[in-house]
Amino acid sequence: MAQPAAHAASDVAQGSTRIPPWAILGGIFGVVSAFSILTWGPIGVSGTYPRFVGAILRRLDPALATGNPYLETMGSLIKPETFLVLGLLIGGFLASRIGPKAPARTEFIHTGETTKGKRYRDAFIGGFLIVFGARIAGGCTSGHIISGITQLSVSGLIFAAGVFATGIMTAKLLHKGGR
Amino acid sequence: MTILYALIVGVAMGALIQRVRASSPAMIAQNLRLENLSIIKFMATTIAVGAILVYLLNLVTPMHFDIKPTYVVGVLLGGLVFGVGFALGGYCPGTCVVGAGEGRKDAFWSIGGGVLGALVFTLVFDALITPLVKMADYGRITLADVLHLPAVGVALGLGALFLGIVYVLPTDVKKKT
Repeated sequence: MAQPAAHAASDVAQGSTRIPPWAILGGIFGVVSAFSILTWGPIGVSGTYPRFVGAILRRLDPALATGNPYLETMGSLIKPETFLVLGLLIGGFLASRIGPKAPARTEFIHTGETTKGKRYRDAFIGGFLIVFGARIAGGCTSGHIISGITQLSVSGLIFAAGVFATGIMTAKLLHKGGR
Repeated sequence: MTILYALIVGVAMGALIQRVRASSPAMIAQNLRLENLSIIKFMATTIAVGAILVYLLNLVTPMHFDIKPTYVVGVLLGGLVFGVGFALGGYCPGTCVVGAGEGRKDAFWSIGGGVLGALVFTLVFDALITPLVKMADYGRITLADVLHLPAVGVALGLGALFLGIVYVLPTDVKKKT
């Protein structure tokens, strides 16, 4: 365990009189999420992945793309959600370059990740599973958990229960393996 | 105009995710190991504030609600698969895009895995997923429907409950024990 250590104390060190950063940022995100539902609809990210795949397939193999029922129901990339995802990229870029700088280095997150290659492998397989799982469920952290539970949807609560059940178990198992 | 609102919401959301360190896979792993609960408490705060606001606003103006259907088997199974990937990679489909904006190299690998996951999903959808989606489908239901209570009341109750839990739980678990 070499990499992640420097940041853990950040909001504990500030004492009890100040509101911790996560509470302020969470409150602002709550207002942003409500603004989204007021102006166009609930935030959601994972549906953009199959729409992106559909946009590429329509260029490479139009017959396959138009014959696929899932790509047809998801529709084209000309949707607000696509611009939300574009915004995430811009927001991440801007926030990492304005104000107190937290350098974006590659972090090893489990005891088993000893090389950058292993980190990229875990990120890739993890990326596959989160989008595949999210599409089975019909939403991800943003669509099901954040905006889903915000709207009091039952599906959001069930999805969150599933995510934290295997998420906590997997994270603990992966970390003990090499200790 | 809709597209502009969505872009603004995306930029704000991306900046907030970056600032709270939710785009850091190491931070996500610490939260899932229950060593540091800052991201979980951030999410609970977001949901509490959002739920109270949208259902109060709904009393005075129409809202663009979009409740996702509760097909119990598929939603739960999807969540279980998602959890494994979330813990392994430390990213969710949105935070890896934020991480890519920051310049994190592993975030690009996560997006690549996600695009491949979406491609495989579209290819197996008809054969494997359609039956799951039809199993135990209760439709677009909310907690208010289940409890037979007014939505604004349920939103205030859930918001208060989440904020209460967030207030009671420690952030840095290791320090408190």
